[in-house]
Amino acid sequence: MSKTVCPRCATGGALDDYQGKEGGKVVWTIHRCPTCCFSWRDSEPASAIGIGIRSADFAVDAANLDRYVKILQQ
Amino acid sequence: MMQDLAKRSRSITSLRDFLELLGDAGQAITWSERVMPEPDVRNIAVAASRDANGAPAIVFDNIAGYPGKRTAVGVHGSWDNIALLLGRPKGTTIRELFFEIAGRWGDAAAQISIVPEGQAPVHECRIESGINLYDVLPVFRINEYDGGFYLGKASVASRDPEDPDNFGKQNVGIYRLQLQGPDSFTLMTIPSHDMGRQIMAAERTGLPLKIAVMLGNHPGLAVFAATPIGYEESEYSYASAMMGAPIRLTKSGNGIDILADSEIVIEAEMQLGERVLEGPFGEFPGSYSGVRKAPIFKVTAISHRKNPIFENIYIGRGWTEHDTLIGLHTSAPIYAQLRQNFPEVTAVNALYQHGLTGIISVKNRMAGFAKTVALRALSTPHGVMYLKNLIMVDADVDPFDLNQVMWALSTRTRADDIIVLLNMPAVPIDPSAVVPGKGHRLIIDATSYLPPDPVGEAHLVTPPTGPDIDELSKKIRAMQLGALQ
Ligand SMILES: [Zn+2]
Repeated sequence: MSKTVCPRCATGGALDDYQGKEGGKVVWTIHRCPTCCFSWRDSEPASAIGIGIRSADFAVDAANLDRYVKILQQ
Repeated sequence: MMQDLAKRSRSITSLRDFLELLGDAGQAITWSERVMPEPDVRNIAVAASRDANGAPAIVFDNIAGYPGKRTAVGVHGSWDNIALLLGRPKGTTIRELFFEIAGRWGDAAAQISIVPEGQAPVHECRIESGINLYDVLPVFRINEYDGGFYLGKASVASRDPEDPDNFGKQNVGIYRLQLQGPDSFTLMTIPSHDMGRQIMAAERTGLPLKIAVMLGNHPGLAVFAATPIGYEESEYSYASAMMGAPIRLTKSGNGIDILADSEIVIEAEMQLGERVLEGPFGEFPGSYSGVRKAPIFKVTAISHRKNPIFENIYIGRGWTEHDTLIGLHTSAPIYAQLRQNFPEVTAVNALYQHGLTGIISVKNRMAGFAKTVALRALSTPHGVMYLKNLIMVDADVDPFDLNQVMWALSTRTRADDIIVLLNMPAVPIDPSAVVPGKGHRLIIDATSYLPPDPVGEAHLVTPPTGPDIDELSKKIRAMQLGALQ
């Protein structure tokens, strides 16, 4: 399990989905949180991805994922 | 000049053709200065959107971490770009563009030509293993708090899982797609949309639902495929008829009819019964959707042209490309539906936030008649959910000229000419809703009075108006531009 922590739900274990490279050098990495499905690029401004800086209005409570509605139920 | 423009518009088969046409008219620019995917692409797209009349399409070809890749935004981002798509010159008024679209109904037959897969430009490059969407798509976060990287301008084609051989029951629509890892994405829809019905049918019957996601398409498709037309009409046929030009189709690897000249096509299959977290997404009312659990699709293959252009959109708090993209084609069906009963309706402006505010011009047949027309508008297919605020103006007020609309509001409205309808259905993403999906409607009658209304003593000034005056204002503008050169 990776140590990368999700800026949205504060859970560890984020995956590395892609690395942007220029001349063989990594410019940024796209991470994805398997818990809350948030994806982000590590080069984004802190206002969007900084833990503790990002707006709390958009946090996801990893302990309470049942509250999110499932669309298109029969 | 006009005929050349119309001819060239009809010869468009692809995004590339249209970008070239826009470039020749000074309506597309290439941004070669190095930019970061965030926040630069968003910032530049928003800055361009400020000029609703004249903003160019922007092609980025130097995005950090995406060497050699290209992203286009703002392709439908201004009235001038829409005018050129319709074969009209820059500077064509919104009102003229509205009548251009409204006048095309029933005008021409669909012309569909079939291109063998081996000859279709979209299949020039093919990826069937080791799929990573990020290899092909130079994505950027559209709004700061979106839940991930979105494809905001993808036309999704699918066959009806219960009637897969029926061409007319194929659905093509624009749905927001959120990337969920290298080979997966979620699709957001509601049960009443065609795709929502197909997803529910597939899950009810256990039949597979395969889709083809087209990116960087014929520019007519995005304008005309988002239309409230009947379920059994093909969006391709409709777009062809409305463009007055052939549409070239081919087959995707998973057997769906797709545009032969699209930049990129992603083939995918729904994971029956599975849902993962989707959202938020900054939607067209200028507010974020919530987080919900949405169906997830697994990518089975990608086709793309050589050196593809990834087309995306900035959507969020208006004015944005979304407004110019769908505005006229939201307005025109309401106009046509109202005219069936009420030929006194002379124009409909539902440009604002997909028609959350609409302005209707009507010639009063009798006192209070405009209010009757307003109630009919609320029962049109689009009106049922979207037309929240309606402003009724006289036939001699151009509903696309807000200065004239404000004149009507200022001088024609009596406070008792306002109707509020409580607890009506409402589009769930209206941020003003107390309970999403339910809300109140407002009708402001800003038309003139007729007996038995008490009319008062004022007599209206009737300034010169009509095509001659329209031509004079264009001439003045042209003289002014000439003087500056
Ligand atoms: Zn998370």
